[in-house]
Amino acid sequence: MGTAFDTIAFKASACDGCGKCMTACAEAKQGASRISIVSGAGEGRFELSLCRQCGDPKCAMVCPAGALAKDEASGVIRWDANQCVDCLLCTAGCSFGGISVDSHTARVAKCDQCDGDPACVKACPTGALEWVTAGSVFKKYGDREDMFVPGLSGCQGCNSELIMRHAMRKIGRNAVLATPPGCIPGMGSVGYNGKTGTKVPVFHPLLTNTASMLAGIRRYYDRIGRKDIVVMALAGDGGTSDCGFHAVSGAAERGEKVLYVCVDNEGYMNTGMQRSSTTPFGSWTSTTPVGEHMRGKTQDAKNLPLIMVAHKCAYVATASTGYMEDLYAKLDKAVEASFRGFSYLHIYSPCPTGWRIPSSKVIEACRMSVDSNFVTLWEYTREGGLRFTRSPDRPIPIRDYVKLLGKYRHLDEAQLDHIQARVDEQVALLRMMAAEPVAAE
Amino acid sequence: MSKVVVIDGNEAAAWGAALSRPDMVAVYPITPQSSLVEYLAKFIADGRMDADLMDVEGEHSVLSVLHGACLAGARTYSATSAQGLAYMFEPYFRTPGLRLPMVVSLVNRDSVSPTCVWGGQQDAMTVKEVGWIHMFCENQQEICDTIPIAYKVAEHPEVMLPVNVNHDGNYLSYGVAKVELPDQAVVDSFLGEKNVNWHACLDPERPMAVDPLTGGATGAGPATFVRYRKGLCSGMRAALDVIVEAHADWGRRTGRHWSPLIEKYRMEDAEVALVTIGSMSGAAKDAVDEARLDGRRLGLVKIKTFRPFPVVQVAQALSKVRAIGVVDRAVNFGWNCGPVFQEVLAALYHLPLRVPAMSFIGGLAGADITVEHFSQAIDRTLRLAAGELAVEPVWLNEND
Repeated sequence: MGTAFDTIAFKASACDGCGKCMTACAEAKQGASRISIVSGAGEGRFELSLCRQCGDPKCAMVCPAGALAKDEASGVIRWDANQCVDCLLCTAGCSFGGISVDSHTARVAKCDQCDGDPACVKACPTGALEWVTAGSVFKKYGDREDMFVPGLSGCQGCNSELIMRHAMRKIGRNAVLATPPGCIPGMGSVGYNGKTGTKVPVFHPLLTNTASMLAGIRRYYDRIGRKDIVVMALAGDGGTSDCGFHAVSGAAERGEKVLYVCVDNEGYMNTGMQRSSTTPFGSWTSTTPVGEHMRGKTQDAKNLPLIMVAHKCAYVATASTGYMEDLYAKLDKAVEASFRGFSYLHIYSPCPTGWRIPSSKVIEACRMSVDSNFVTLWEYTREGGLRFTRSPDRPIPIRDYVKLLGKYRHLDEAQLDHIQARVDEQVALLRMMAAEPVAAE
Repeated sequence: MSKVVVIDGNEAAAWGAALSRPDMVAVYPITPQSSLVEYLAKFIADGRMDADLMDVEGEHSVLSVLHGACLAGARTYSATSAQGLAYMFEPYFRTPGLRLPMVVSLVNRDSVSPTCVWGGQQDAMTVKEVGWIHMFCENQQEICDTIPIAYKVAEHPEVMLPVNVNHDGNYLSYGVAKVELPDQAVVDSFLGEKNVNWHACLDPERPMAVDPLTGGATGAGPATFVRYRKGLCSGMRAALDVIVEAHADWGRRTGRHWSPLIEKYRMEDAEVALVTIGSMSGAAKDAVDEARLDGRRLGLVKIKTFRPFPVVQVAQALSKVRAIGVVDRAVNFGWNCGPVFQEVLAALYHLPLRVPAMSFIGGLAGADITVEHFSQAIDRTLRLAAGELAVEPVWLNEND
């Protein structure tokens, strides 16, 4: 297993080029700034020039004196002033402009991350610079066992497969897993002809009865005192919000102690991309096609997680693979809550095949859906009410997100306005709900 | 100690279930089953029965929670009728394929439409090809006794199939009679230890995939599917002997010997026979007795086990008569006759001689099939024996 390190992240869209990071760095290092903000492509656009603390550092490779080396604990490329012969080959070796010469001392100047508390990040007024623990998920769960066979037959770039593998890696072997008909068993998690695709006990419920079967399993294990088993589903949005909703609602009303994860790819993708009640307005699907008389789905999506809030579940949350740390934090809480009551986790999951996007754009779609408020990330408990876990201060226009996806290619201005208005309404409602946390019962 | 009580058929079923010690009971009310599940809820509330009660949002989930519980290792019970069974159909169809040894009472009711809440066997007869074992009870005592017997059959390792214990809505569900409740220790030793999920389970200590995909055009898929289907047929065939053994064992322990597959009533020298099923059989036997007093050699064959159909026993029992009248409490729309009639005809094909038979349909939607109705049926069947053929069914309550 490799190692991931904390790092300084740069969000170009938030940088206004004020240069306060450079001033702060120069002060902290009593010399030249190790960080440079330079003009980027276009008016008012800026780029960052800073040591990347590479895993395979070219600067160290070209150094003839052994003065540069990667620190195993922090990941920082350390520069040893005593060993350095001032040849400056390293500054030519780095292709990121991350290592430079301090004109005051005529010696190498590079970022050492201020021992984990970088002055530049603290000085940044816009949030363009951020100290991120990017490897936290990997560090915590990277060496855990993958619960599925390597050869799952999902489409290339399938985000649902990403969710399945991450969720079960986190949850481990002491679980019973339902994967109702859809992409998740379709890619082989329950296996074929007597062979399983999963290391935990796994089954096909009917599309319609997932939550009920889980409830029966949990009740019996509770009855015989085996209370530590995670009884859970990785279900699709169609079976959850449409034909299986009676079972979900019934189990939630009864407070059945199960974990229900709904992987929402906004339609019946496994059967050929038909519309479900969670398919958003305007979407092309195979049953809301685009032609002379129809321009995609004419109804808005059912907001299933909000409906689950109305069931007063032990835990309700939304998540996106665009923000994995948020997702993992919610998985933790959702598993814990499933031992106390009905626990519902709704994960948005772009489908490259059905949404008509290249698989390389999936995570970008996830992030833009959140950054535009098309997808809202929040969690609900009876004690704490509804709380946003990530909410953009300056959401990007919905058009920027929508134009990324082929399934919206046909939308006209009126349809785009409709989507933007519904997103704004939805966020306003959620803000109202989040504003006044419900008092503990 | 056994105890004698006076109770209706639904309470007799509730006692039969309680004495079988299911771990989980899932319920949703429907007429005429409702009081049955109310009795169970009360037994559990009073601490007389140690089971998890799951009041779920519909019959579809009734069977679904029990599927989950059974795969985790629970002995399970429920009851339903007509529309409830119809709504339950999706998981109902799946139950025998998963070989889940569950017991569900069907409190038989005629099915909508026309709208009706009264007794009739259209519900059970409509699902006869699904793969559940079906037993039909004649009276309240037989209901109480048949439910533990049903568990013994369902959980037998060579059977592993779900069982419907049928009793007629209205006449049995609400009709009151003397019932001897068997002693708990007797039922416990009769049933023994449960082992309901040795073949398929959802347990982290025995991880497996339950019901992976099979089928396809060629290769292992379709062959796997055929193997499962044939296995279900084998379980059904094995059930015939197991049902006989289980009834005999129950008789030795309780003194009550019920006919396991069919009951032959005054058939020794019978020239003409009625075939009946369920609670109608009592009035039919009275009519046979009256006919005997008039010097006619009448007999009766009552079907107790309808699935698996006791082909050999039915054919043998009817091999020596000159005419047969089959009385149904349901309709086979495609053949314009009663469903049991159609089954009996198929069994008779195994005989070297052709025996004339005709269909009577009565007791629909709560109607009473009286001794007089059966006497009419006997008269008509005697005319059939004399050569007056019948191609249409006789609807017994048509002119009531």
